[in-house]
Amino acid sequence: MRELKEQQKSRLEPITIRRRSFLSVAALTSFLSATGLALAGALRLPGPAVLPGPVRRFKVGHPEEFAVGSETLVEEANFTLFRDAQGVYAISCVCTHLGCTVARSAGGFACPCHGSRFARNGDVVRGPAPRALPWLEVGRAADGQLVVYADNEVPEGTRFRV
Amino acid sequence: MKDPSLQYRWLLLGTSLLTIGYLVAAAVRENFLAEWYQVQKDYQSILKEKAADERGRAIARDFRVELKQVSVPALKTVDRCVSCHNGIDDPRMTGVPLPHAVHPGDILKNHPADRFGCTVCHQGQGPATTFEDAKGEDAFWDYPLLDHNLVQSSCFACHDVEKLPPAQVTLVVEGRKLYQEKSCGSCHKLGGRGGSLGPALDNEGAKTKHQLILTNLAPPHTTWNWQQAHFRDPAGIVPASQMKNPALSGPQVLALTVYMLAQRQRDVPESYLAPDKLEEKVRRLHPQPLAGEQVYHQYCLACHGEGTSGRWDKTFQRFIPAIRGASLQATADRAYLETQILQGRPGTQMPAWAKQAGGLLPEEINAVLDYIQPAASRGAAAATHAPAPPPHGDSIRGAALFTSYCSGCHGPAGHAGVAPEISNSVFQKAASDEFIVTTIRNGRRGTAMPSFQPHIEGARALNDASVGDLLAFIRELGRPQAGTQAAQAGGSGQKAPSHGEEPR
Amino acid sequence: MSTVTAPVPPSATQEFVHNLRRLPHTVKDAWFRLGHTPESEREESQATFHNLFLHIHSVRVHVRSLAPTFTLGLGIISAASFAILCITGVLLMVYYKPSTALAYDSIKDLHFVVFSGRFIRNIHRWSAHVMVAAVFLHMARVFYTSSYKRPREFNWLVGLGLLVLTLALSFTGYLLPYDQLAYWAITIGSNIANSPRELTDALAITKWFDPGGFQRRLLLGANFVGEDSLIRFYVLHVFILPVALTTLLGVHFWRIRKDGGLARPEGPMGGQAEWGGSMKRVFEPLGTKTYGLMALVKGRRATVNRGPEDTVMSWPHLFWAELAVLMVTVALTLILAFHFDAPLKELANPGVPENPAKAPWYFLGLQELVSYSAFVGGLMIPAIAWIGLALIPFLDQRTGGEGEWLGTPGEKRVALRSLLVGLAGVTGMLAFTVNYGWLRNWYPHIHQLWIIAINPGSILVALYMAWSLWVLKRSNSIRHAAVALFTCFLAGFSVLTYFATVHRGPNWLFYWWPSQWPVH
Repeated sequence: MRELKEQQKSRLEPITIRRRSFLSVAALTSFLSATGLALAGALRLPGPAVLPGPVRRFKVGHPEEFAVGSETLVEEANFTLFRDAQGVYAISCVCTHLGCTVARSAGGFACPCHGSRFARNGDVVRGPAPRALPWLEVGRAADGQLVVYADNEVPEGTRFRV
Repeated sequence: MKDPSLQYRWLLLGTSLLTIGYLVAAAVRENFLAEWYQVQKDYQSILKEKAADERGRAIARDFRVELKQVSVPALKTVDRCVSCHNGIDDPRMTGVPLPHAVHPGDILKNHPADRFGCTVCHQGQGPATTFEDAKGEDAFWDYPLLDHNLVQSSCFACHDVEKLPPAQVTLVVEGRKLYQEKSCGSCHKLGGRGGSLGPALDNEGAKTKHQLILTNLAPPHTTWNWQQAHFRDPAGIVPASQMKNPALSGPQVLALTVYMLAQRQRDVPESYLAPDKLEEKVRRLHPQPLAGEQVYHQYCLACHGEGTSGRWDKTFQRFIPAIRGASLQATADRAYLETQILQGRPGTQMPAWAKQAGGLLPEEINAVLDYIQPAASRGAAAATHAPAPPPHGDSIRGAALFTSYCSGCHGPAGHAGVAPEISNSVFQKAASDEFIVTTIRNGRRGTAMPSFQPHIEGARALNDASVGDLLAFIRELGRPQAGTQAAQAGGSGQKAPSHGEEPR
Repeated sequence: MSTVTAPVPPSATQEFVHNLRRLPHTVKDAWFRLGHTPESEREESQATFHNLFLHIHSVRVHVRSLAPTFTLGLGIISAASFAILCITGVLLMVYYKPSTALAYDSIKDLHFVVFSGRFIRNIHRWSAHVMVAAVFLHMARVFYTSSYKRPREFNWLVGLGLLVLTLALSFTGYLLPYDQLAYWAITIGSNIANSPRELTDALAITKWFDPGGFQRRLLLGANFVGEDSLIRFYVLHVFILPVALTTLLGVHFWRIRKDGGLARPEGPMGGQAEWGGSMKRVFEPLGTKTYGLMALVKGRRATVNRGPEDTVMSWPHLFWAELAVLMVTVALTLILAFHFDAPLKELANPGVPENPAKAPWYFLGLQELVSYSAFVGGLMIPAIAWIGLALIPFLDQRTGGEGEWLGTPGEKRVALRSLLVGLAGVTGMLAFTVNYGWLRNWYPHIHQLWIIAINPGSILVALYMAWSLWVLKRSNSIRHAAVALFTCFLAGFSVLTYFATVHRGPNWLFYWWPSQWPVH
C-alpha cells in the first residue's frame, strides 16, 4: 500500500491526506465514551428496581404454635407447614403440572384437575405432573415468628431447626 | 484555508466531557448518595452490632441493601417507607434513632406491614423514597404524613372506635365527647343529624388543602393545622364565619382535631373492616334515641345556652330566645314549641330538626320538649292568666304602632331585626292570637322583650284597641304580599299617621 | 502466505481452520470496507457516499454552511432533541401505563424507583421544551437569512408541517402524566379546539355545522378529558406523530440536498467584477448546484465560467460539526435534567380546577388571545399566521440576500423598526385591556359577533398588517414587508407568551408578580 501511495503518476490516483490529530482522537473518544456511558445508563432502566406485586413472604406465627407432628394449611399463600422432630418445613400446594391447588389425601397430596398424585414429601407418585411439589424456604423473622418465603425453593428434605 | 472544523472538534471534546461528567454525577447521585442507601448502610452496621446470637448474625448476613416496598393493591398503595424504616418489626431495635427504631406499641401484631402497608394509618406519600417527599407537606400530595398524635384518627376507617381499647384512641374518644359537650351539632351535621348553619362534617377528614380557605393560615398548610387554627379562632381563619369561638384549651383543640380527621368516608375493602365496624355503620343509620337533656346539650346549647334567659349573640348580632324561660313556658303550649322545633324558622339561624331535616327522631323531639317544658310549667297557664285577645283592628294603624314600638328590635317588617322574626311563616302558623297578645302584654321575663300594659303611663302604654291593631298588622306580616306593603308603610311612614300623633 | 514454488492446494479442513482463525479480520473487513479511516479525498467521499445513514449528506459542503453564526446549529439542535426524545421516550414506555388509574402512579415510580428513571424522565421533559424552542428559532433563522427563496419554497412548507407536528407532539405528551397540571392544561387546549363554536353559536348555526365540537370530540373521545382522551393522546404521541414527523424530517433533509445544500450568498460580489470601468457579470454564481460524483482528479478542478467553489469535504468537517452540535444539545439537556425535576402536581382531580389553569408555555400566547375571544385567539389568528407563513416564499419571489442575515439593503433597519412597532403594539394593547377591559365590560349585552370582529387580537394583527403594507409601499420591497410582518409577529408572540406566563394569575387577572397571587 505504501508503495502504491508514492506512485501517484496519474491524475486519477488519489492524494493522501493525513488529517489525524490528537484533538480528533480525543474528541472522538470522548464522544464515544459519552454515548457508551449514556447507553449503559439507559439500558439499565428496563431492569426492575423493585418487583411489583404483593410480598410473597408470609409470617405464619411463633414456633410454639405448631406442635411437633402437626400440619397447617396456609390458604392465602397456598402451602402447608409441617413440623416434625427435625424441624419445620413448608411444601407448596401448587400442582407442578398446570398450577391447580392440590388437596391433602391419605398418602400425601392429590390434584383434582388432572389426577396427579404426590407423596407426603412432595414426590410425584402418579399423574402428568413433571416434578415434585417444591419445598419452600422457611426462616425466622426478627420478632421471632416463622416466615415462609414462597418464591424461594429449597432442596427436598431441608428443615428449619427451631 | 484554515481547518474548517477545528472549533467543532474542540466543542465536541468539551461537550462530551461535560456530558460524561453529568452522567457520572447522575449515576452517583442516584445510587450512592440516595437517602435510602445511606440509611440502609447504617442499619446494616446496627444489625451487626446487635447480633447477639446465631439468628441475629443470620439476619445481619442476609440483609441486602436495596429498595424495599410493600405493595398492597387492595388499599391501592405501594409503600416504600420500609426502604428506610427497616427495623419496624425487629424487637431488638430499641434505643436506636429513627428511622431504624422498632414500631412503638404492638400495633404491628394485628396490623402486619405486609398486609396493611403504612400509609393507610400514617398517610403520607407512600411511593416516595426520600423523607421529605414521603412527608408530602406543602407539596403536591393530597394527604401528607400525619403527626404522631393524629394517627389514631385513621382507626376510624376500619374500626368502631368505641370497641377499641380506650388507651389507643384517647384523643378520638375525647374529641367525640367534646363535640357533644360543646354542642357542635347545633350548627353542623354528622350522620345526617345536626343543624344547617355550618357545613356537614361527615367527610371533614378527607378534605385536601385545596378545599380549605388558607389565606390566613401560616405554613405548613396541612389540614390539621387548619383545623387547629380554626378551632382557636374561627373568624380569623374563615372570613365572615358565623362560628363562635369554642374557647378550647390546647389539648382540647388537639382532641377535636383528631375527631375531625377521623370523619372520613374511606373506601376500604370489606376484608379489612373489623367485624364491629359493620355494626357501627348500621348504628349510624339507625341511631338510638337520646334522652331529652342530651338532645338539648348536643343540639341546642350552642345558641340557646341554658335557655333560661335571652342572650345577645355577638356573631349573629341578634337576641336569641330564652326557650326554657319561665315566661315562654307560661305562654306557649306544647304544640307551639313542637312546630318551632320540627320546622325551625326558615330564613333565620334556627334550623328544622324533624327527622328528614335535622335528623332528630320523633322520640327525641318529644324528649327534648319534655326537657324544655316540664309538665309543671306548661302553657295551660296561658289560658287562665291571659284575657281573651282583642279582635283584629286596623292594620294601618297597627303599622304605625309597629314602627314606633316594635320595629326597633323586630325589624321594619318583622324580619332582619335583632329580635325573633315575627313575620316568619312558621311562627305565624304556630302562634295563636292569644300567644301573641299575651307576649305583647306580659313581655318575656329575662329577655329584652318589654311588656306593654294598658294602664302604665308613658311610652309603653298600649290599650286593647291598639293591641288589636297591632295584632292585625302582625298577622298581615305573615302574608307575603302584605309584608311588602307593610314594609313600605312602616318604613316610609307616609301612609301612617305622622310621628307626633298619639295612638288612640 | 508467502510464495510457494509448487502450489499445493490446501485441503478443505485446512482451509476451514484457516478461515476460522481469520474470522475477526474477515468480519471487520466485511463491515468496514475501507479498513482504515479515509486517507484521501476520494476515500473521504466514499465514506460519505457509501454509507446508508451518511449519504443523505452531499460529499462536499460549502464552508459558509459550516459557519456557526450562520445557522446557529438550530436545525441540528431540533433534530438532535427529537432523537433524544425518541430514545428516552421508548425507555419511558417500558414503565408508563396509559390508563387514568395507573398513569400517575407509573410516573411516580419512574421518579422514585426505576433505575435512571428520574433522570431520563427529566431529560425527556426538558428536551421537549428545547425542541419546541429550537424549531421556532430555526424557523426565524431560515426566515431572516432568506433561505426560503427559490428553490427552497417547498422545504419551507415541509418545515411548517414539522412545526405543527412538533407542537402536536408536545401537546399530546403533556397529558400523559395525568396530574393536575396535565389535566387542566389539556382541558384548556381542548376548549381552544372547540373555539369555532364561538362563531357558529354567534351565527346560530351550531345545530347543523359544528366543527368545534367535532374537533373536541375527536381529540378527547368523549365530552370530557378522561380515559379515552388519555389513550388517544398516547397513541398519537408514541406512534402516529413520531412516524409522521420522521417521515417529514426525511423529506426535509432530502430537500436540503436537492436544493443544493444550505442557502448561501452567491459568492464574491455576486459573480461580478469590475471590467472596463463598470461591474460586469464575469461568471455564473455557484449558488444552487448539485452534482453527482463521477471522479475525483488531482489538482484544482477546472471550473470554466464558474466562481470559486469554497467547499470542503463533508467527511470529516461536516460530521464534526454535526456531532458537536448534537453533543451541545445533549449536554444542555443533561444539565437541565440534572438540576431541575420535571414538574408533577397532585393526581388529576376534575373537582378541583387549577387556578389559573395554564396551557403549555408555547400555547400561552394563544391563551392570552383566547381570553379575549376563543375563536379569534384559538383558530383565526393561528390560522392566519400559519397561512401567512406558508405564503411567504410565494409572495417574495425576488432573489437576493439568501444565506445572509438580513442581507438585502435596508433590511436591518426595517427589522429594528418593526421590532419596536411590534413591541409597542402588543404592550399598548395589553396595557389597554388590563386597565380598561374590552367591549364586553362596557356593553354587557353586545352580540358576540362584534367581539369577534373588534377584538384586541384581531386589532393587533390588523395593526401589524397595516405596518407591513406601509413598509411595502415605502421601501418598495416585498421582502422588507415580509420582514416587517414576521418581526412584528415574533415580537407580539414573545411578549404575549411572557405576559401570560408571568403576569396572569388566578382567574386570569393581572398581577405584577406571582408572589402577589392570593392564597386561596
